[in-house]
Amino acid sequence: MFRRLAFLTVCLSILLAGFAVPAQKRSYKRSSDAAKPIATVTPIDTERLKSLLKRDSQRPLLVNFWATWCDPCRDEFPDLVKIDAEFRPKGLDFIAISLDDLKDINTEVPKFLRAMNAQMPVYLLNVPDPEVPITAVDAQWSGALPATFLYDATGNIAYKHFGRIAPEELRAAIEKQVGAKQ
Amino acid sequence: MMKKQNAVSLLLAALFVIAAVAIAGSGRIVGNDVPAPPAIGATIEDFTLPDTDSKDRTLNSIKGSKGTVLIFISVQCPVSNAYNERMEKLAEDYKAKGINVIGVNANNTEPVDAVKAHASEKHLTFPILKDPGNKLADRLGAQFTPESYVLDANNKLVYHGRIDNSRDASQVNSSELREALDALLAGKPVAKTTSKAFGCTIKRA
Repeated sequence: MFRRLAFLTVCLSILLAGFAVPAQKRSYKRSSDAAKPIATVTPIDTERLKSLLKRDSQRPLLVNFWATWCDPCRDEFPDLVKIDAEFRPKGLDFIAISLDDLKDINTEVPKFLRAMNAQMPVYLLNVPDPEVPITAVDAQWSGALPATFLYDATGNIAYKHFGRIAPEELRAAIEKQVGAKQ
Repeated sequence: MMKKQNAVSLLLAALFVIAAVAIAGSGRIVGNDVPAPPAIGATIEDFTLPDTDSKDRTLNSIKGSKGTVLIFISVQCPVSNAYNERMEKLAEDYKAKGINVIGVNANNTEPVDAVKAHASEKHLTFPILKDPGNKLADRLGAQFTPESYVLDANNKLVYHGRIDNSRDASQVNSSELREALDALLAGKPVAKTTSKAFGCTIKRA
């Protein structure tokens, strides 16, 4: 009887732990001894975006579209910062494209990036019509944020995810590209 | 006896694990899992939703004689809020022509009191319906705020997409929603029946 109770207690604990994990609040505070974060965000138009995506560095490229007003974008950003730190030395390029208002380029956007201790290059898409770049990136993309694309070393989309990323799934996709390059 | 107890324990443990996986899975955030929108030309069935006074309204009781615009809107979304004045102007401009604008708030995070206060503060005078459980948003495949749907006098969908090309009113050079309404009023086919809406994602239940 005691064994049975103990066994059930363990199972219940596992179950409760499983519920507790998604409820954890993420902290946006950056660590005090981290490297100096980026200070500027560069405005770009659709043509510049296309050239960024079609560069010929022969390295896989991760691109995250986001905005400070997008809650799931904010929620996933700490994971993206970790992935950037983990894979950049292994050969991954990573750029973040903000779809915030141009008026926020020197205020809300860099403020959030500093809080995240983000190190990747960040651009702000300053276009009169967001449908044009959205369709140019991927005709299947509705424009919902966040959206994350992984390009292989030849510039083709190897992986994409709409909505908040699943970090381990993204890591696995990156590993394939980084591994393929090495 | 002990074997039987162990078997019961294992069975219960298995049930716990299955329940945990099922519940955790149901709460997972998955990208792009919104139902597909109805096709252009499809008839939108009448529906009943509560307004900001929690009174039930049907589509057919508040639709316009010549057409209806449904716009999914938000209290907090800055993109939706950038359109407040334009949406109010649209409602004023077309009401006299027989087309009614109806706002729909399907955000699970925005209670009806907040929706009512927001409408008052932003001077939105067109009716706003609350969509609890985002049932209408699911039926229409709505993803964003703002996102608009134009129905003709018979509730047939004739346009679905953005209001115009820019959240910044000074940058607008393409007004798909107004063009669709003008075509509808003129008895002409809508030239551009769909466009990509852009804004905050609807916070589903």
